[in-house]
Amino acid sequence: MRFLDLLVMSVNNLRRRKLRTALTVLGVVIGTASIVVMMSLGIGMSEMQMELMESYGSMTAINVYSDMYSTQNSSKEPAHLTDETIEAIRRMDHVEGVSPLLNVNVILKQGQYVASYVSLVGVNQDYMKQITVGEGTYPVMDGSEVQLLVGNWVIQNFSNGKQNSSYYETGELPPVDLMNDPLYIIYDVDGYYTSMNGGNGDGTPVKPPKKYLVPVAGIVEGGIEDANQYSWSVYTDLEALKKQLKQVFKKNPIPGQPTNKKGKPYNYFIYNNAVVYVDDIDNVKAVQEAITDMGFQANSNSEWMEQSKKQSQMIQMVLGGIGAVSLFVAAIGIANTMMMSIYERTKEIGVMKVLGCDMGNIRNMFLIESGFIGLLGGVIGLILSYGISYLINHFPVAASMMGGMEGDISRIPLWLSGSALGFAVVVGMVAGFLPAIRAMKLSPLAAIRNE
Amino acid sequence: MAETEKGKEKPIIQVKNLYKIYRVGESKVYALNGVDFSLNKGEFCAVVGPSGSGKSTLLNMMAGLEKPTKGEIIIAGTHIEKMTESQLVTFRRQNVGFIFQSYNLIKTLNAVENVALPLSFRGVGKKERTEKAKQYLKLVGLEKQMDRMANEMSGGQQQRVGIARALAVNPRIIFADEPTGNLDSKTTKEVLKLMRRIVREQNQTLIMVTHDNYLAGFADKQIHIVDGKVMKIEEQNHDDEEEL
Repeated sequence: MRFLDLLVMSVNNLRRRKLRTALTVLGVVIGTASIVVMMSLGIGMSEMQMELMESYGSMTAINVYSDMYSTQNSSKEPAHLTDETIEAIRRMDHVEGVSPLLNVNVILKQGQYVASYVSLVGVNQDYMKQITVGEGTYPVMDGSEVQLLVGNWVIQNFSNGKQNSSYYETGELPPVDLMNDPLYIIYDVDGYYTSMNGGNGDGTPVKPPKKYLVPVAGIVEGGIEDANQYSWSVYTDLEALKKQLKQVFKKNPIPGQPTNKKGKPYNYFIYNNAVVYVDDIDNVKAVQEAITDMGFQANSNSEWMEQSKKQSQMIQMVLGGIGAVSLFVAAIGIANTMMMSIYERTKEIGVMKVLGCDMGNIRNMFLIESGFIGLLGGVIGLILSYGISYLINHFPVAASMMGGMEGDISRIPLWLSGSALGFAVVVGMVAGFLPAIRAMKLSPLAAIRNE
Repeated sequence: MAETEKGKEKPIIQVKNLYKIYRVGESKVYALNGVDFSLNKGEFCAVVGPSGSGKSTLLNMMAGLEKPTKGEIIIAGTHIEKMTESQLVTFRRQNVGFIFQSYNLIKTLNAVENVALPLSFRGVGKKERTEKAKQYLKLVGLEKQMDRMANEMSGGQQQRVGIARALAVNPRIIFADEPTGNLDSKTTKEVLKLMRRIVREQNQTLIMVTHDNYLAGFADKQIHIVDGKVMKIEEQNHDDEEEL
């Protein structure tokens, strides 16, 4: 028997009992929709978590700190992050790039507006290229000059010293044009405040420290709403910053640099921390361990991510399991419908067998019928799922449940819809298998005797 | 043509020493108790006997619906008594047409679709089988009822569709189990006449089971069965369209 004839016959049989078919299909619709919606919630949650983590920093980046606490009380010199360490790390396998971070607090000044304790970070090319520039360009990185790449939220720090003038009080951005108007930088923050407070305790006025005109090369991409890990700091070329700091402080200790046991500064720069870029997410763990073995603290998002991956897998399984229960109930419904159908059509099946319809064809006819119920239920269930998913994503209640996180909480990837459809068909056919075998084995004689 | 000549030389159906024994509790019931006969191609044969004589059992076994306890059934040179169920289905699909007492049309199909159904089991394409179905419906005189659903027709019309369905596959043998059992006497005559005419025209072999001696009189050959045994075999020649 041709497959097309078989198909037409099966579909016609389903159409004969419209209400019963519709009810059985409804069961599959609910089953499919509950699986898909549940899974989509699980997927949405885990993807949102991933996105959140990515906004905190790249998944392949390792942060390295010198381990201050464990060596503090020992006689050993703490392991400092120096240029030598950076080069050692750079030579490791799977390391694509490494950048030390030289972090100093500075004051930025434009006209009446002052931003105090701005974190100025000296980085190298490896780090700089991770940042996306919105307005302007990257600073020059050849060590010649300090040019700034300003975080997109730094502008919020400017205030003119009066009450109710800062962004945090008014909610309005100060009238500071970083790109076009001249900007001054003050490296000696302590000196600045000493002079502002009118002297160093005994009343003698202190000359304010020198301010330097500094060019702004660009601003980190993003508006005042979009935070990323580069939003709060100002970045510049490491070598240029080192040169500038030496020039500013001369023989005096540079603020933020550690001192040795005798309280003297080192004659080289010690970095607060460094960032290591690994070529692949799978190698992060190995590189991280190697760095820890060198005596540094290292952390990355990968541990966190692994944990939350496991967690969200579990959530997905639980949610999917809840959905699967309803599909299982639907499968019982399909089996029941097919059984009923066989009892009703016993005679017809018998006649067909007498007329020479192949036994395999009879079995396939019933399998196609039950598979078709599955397919129909799957398709409608999928459409319903997309509808429910849309409602969930656009309902303010659901959005607020996720603590104001951005993005859709219910996501149906293509593989999910595809496998849900396939699963519905398979469930239908499995449920119809026993009834189909039963139909195939009906004795034709008994069937036609049944007057 | 070669087949026709061959069929004349050799009987198309040979039944040898056929037994069917049912066990009812401790005792054995002999539904068939050693039946022997043979039929030639192109014959219209009636199996006659009172109810419970085993005539339906005989028919079912020849059609491969029931297995004999003992004995041989050779149809067109093939032993069917040892076939498996799926082999029997194939055998029926290729060699047998069936006419039922209660017509057994598929109620949700119209006349053409019903006649075309066994052809679709053979994998014949829709266009071809519809054409063939129409041709046989014309032959049984139902040109005007082709699109009617099965349950919208009278008993006589339904049985004509049944006859067309049996003929459409061009089978070697047609089995008819009390084909006129549910029809009134006028329609019975018409249907029987039709069957005989077609058997002659198409050179088909028809085996009809009936309990009615009068109806059996239409056949070329009558096999009388009583208590599972062949009592007598009568042969008579009918001229076309006589005495009906």
